[in-house]
Amino acid sequence: MIAVAVLTMASCKKDQYYLYNDIARIQFGPDVSLIYNANSVLADTLKPYTFYYSAPSVTQDTVFFDIYAVGGVSKTDRAFTLEQEQLPNTNNAVPGKHYIAFNDPGVSKLYVIKAGTVHTRVPVVLLRDISLKTTTPILKLNVVANDIFQLGEVKNLWRKIEMTDRLSRPAAWTDSYATYYYGAYSVVKHAFMIEVTGKKWDQTFISTLAIDEQAYYVSVIKTALINYNNAHPGNPLKDDNGQLVIFP
Amino acid sequence: MGNWSYSHKPNKKKMKQIYTFLFFGIAVLFASCKKDKSNYDYKANELITVNGIESVYNVVSEKDKLVINPTITSSEEGAEFEYLWGIYETNVQGYAPVLDTIGRTKDLNYAIKQPAKAWVLVYRVTNKKTKYSKYINVTVNVGTEFTRGWYVLKDDGTKSDLDLFLTPSSILPTEARENVYSLINGQKLDGKAKIMNVFSSYKSTVTGTLANTKALFVTTDKDVSAVNINTLKQIRNMNSLFFSTPSPVAPNAAFCASSAYYLINAGQMYNIGTNSSNTGLFGGRILRDAINTPYRLSDYYYTSTYSDACVFDELSSTFLTLANGGGSTLTTMSDVAGTAMPAANNNKKPLFMGFKSATYIPAPVYAYTTIGFGIFQDKTNPALKILTQMDLDKLKLKMTNDTLKTTDKIYNATMHTLLDGDENMIYFVVNNQVWSRNLSNKFEQLQFAPPAGEVVTFIRHKKYSTTTEPAYSYNYVMIGTQSGTDYKVRMFTKSSGSLNSEPAFTLTGKGAVRDVMYMAPAISEFNYSNTY
Repeated sequence: MIAVAVLTMASCKKDQYYLYNDIARIQFGPDVSLIYNANSVLADTLKPYTFYYSAPSVTQDTVFFDIYAVGGVSKTDRAFTLEQEQLPNTNNAVPGKHYIAFNDPGVSKLYVIKAGTVHTRVPVVLLRDISLKTTTPILKLNVVANDIFQLGEVKNLWRKIEMTDRLSRPAAWTDSYATYYYGAYSVVKHAFMIEVTGKKWDQTFISTLAIDEQAYYVSVIKTALINYNNAHPGNPLKDDNGQLVIFP
Repeated sequence: MGNWSYSHKPNKKKMKQIYTFLFFGIAVLFASCKKDKSNYDYKANELITVNGIESVYNVVSEKDKLVINPTITSSEEGAEFEYLWGIYETNVQGYAPVLDTIGRTKDLNYAIKQPAKAWVLVYRVTNKKTKYSKYINVTVNVGTEFTRGWYVLKDDGTKSDLDLFLTPSSILPTEARENVYSLINGQKLDGKAKIMNVFSSYKSTVTGTLANTKALFVTTDKDVSAVNINTLKQIRNMNSLFFSTPSPVAPNAAFCASSAYYLINAGQMYNIGTNSSNTGLFGGRILRDAINTPYRLSDYYYTSTYSDACVFDELSSTFLTLANGGGSTLTTMSDVAGTAMPAANNNKKPLFMGFKSATYIPAPVYAYTTIGFGIFQDKTNPALKILTQMDLDKLKLKMTNDTLKTTDKIYNATMHTLLDGDENMIYFVVNNQVWSRNLSNKFEQLQFAPPAGEVVTFIRHKKYSTTTEPAYSYNYVMIGTQSGTDYKVRMFTKSSGSLNSEPAFTLTGKGAVRDVMYMAPAISEFNYSNTY
């Protein structure tokens, strides 16, 4: 019995907790409010941006991403490094022309995880180049290893910006919204929606619409589209690619 | 079978170890044996009996107290009880109701402060010795002066108002509150009164948060007022009921049907889908079809409230519905084989259309079929009038026509009401007299002739059946008359479809009556058929 009791006692052992003992790593992530939402792991990977709604006097604007240090806090500020990736067969954004280069002293000092924190918002300063009136360059930025941070999860090491000075698909015009409410995106359709409703239909407007309000606007737009097509027999509204503008 | 063999004999030391382990092992096995001292005395479960609690309490907020002194006994000797009284609200949407503890003593003496609506009172009695608990759940209908009584919608030709007849102890009114709408809202409702319907889950922020609000929708020919039935204060009107107020403002009716609330204005349909999140505002105009063909809905519509509304386009003479209460386009009813009249383009104009009865079709259909009746006039030959039975099965319509003779009393009728779910009869007004027509054998009979000087302005059959408060059940054919500036609404019970000689009671006031509705805390949008 003593032996059994001893054995029983010996089998008890404090659980081994696996603390994060790895080196400091860094990776992008969703907005802080979404970090515990499993469905939002890949949120905000692509942010479309347009100067279309800005006053002519606006020459630059800033797009923010969220970045997270993994491996705990530090008592000192920790700089991280961004680099543009050149995408093949793509109109890649040009530093100094479409955005302020990441190593520019004006912005490089902003790429820092502050002491005592593990998160910051990464500003990417976009420039309103005249070429944006006719093109939509893409900026793909990667976070790269430096002497402070190694890389985090591979799928969270990049972010993309599509920039233009024309109407462009807001991020809130998701594939789901396209399926159920707005249909496929086109600049013609977008401009028609703005003209009919007098609303911007930009990221802020779409993302704050209540469900019934959205249904109301869609019904107004669909009615206007039918009326337009009725008024233009044989010449219904077509999009940038020559396809009929339709709403689901 | 394989061969078993030992490669060598065990030595003494090893055998000693084996015996040692065996000894301790067997010792453990023995130690694990234990005399079963479980209780196999299967005596009857404890029975806690609570008496002295009603199944329903009707109280007025900020005025009444809930005073309950129950008696409690237990089948267990020497039981010692502890108590808990709690209350939670019903008909919530968008958040979970919370049980609010309102007492921990045997008796309850609680001043009601809850907003007017139905609540559930929970009483828990626990025997502290056995930990056995008994739960009692009863309904508490919290009301105000406005949540119970007969509402009369009336007008003076240009302005409308409501009279309220209080019914403190039974369906019989004891006193009147004249012009309560204007008394509360500071002004009368613009326009000539048409109809009123109750929306029990209308979304508003009258309590500070967006929540279900029991609202009375009062329609005139110039405005629609959504009124909070708890306070009678207007929540919204035609200027604020829509995302974008339609033009012109010419309301036909506001009513409830399956999955949606409807407002028909200038013959155009607007809706609020009630199966999805909404803010209480009516959306864009529903289209007639995919090419936005013009349409104009008749004043007349009908629904059991559990099914989609049947409406009629007077321009194309077509029966329509908004399928499942949603979408942006009306659906044309389809014909059932053998129908006497096509649902579409039938060249008719409705002189009346209303709800008669509904039948629930269980699994796998899970839906109601409804029967309505209408009186239709041919557009080409106005002398041709037909009394039509409409058997509606979702989107399919079968019609049975009865061509009216010019000698039929109903041929020249000006007002109609069907006996909702009761005898197969229609009541109508002709030459200022109220007649009935048996819809099966066409027998017509004079039911009521008003005294000289009184003009019939309104007839409608309504009923309310309740087992929880039987003193408030009723089944009346209501006949409103006007004499000078005064009105009377005679509430007739009926026997075999015919009115009894004297009304059960009569409401009197000023103006011309257009609609009458009994309101009670337990009455919801599903208690009355939505129809003219």
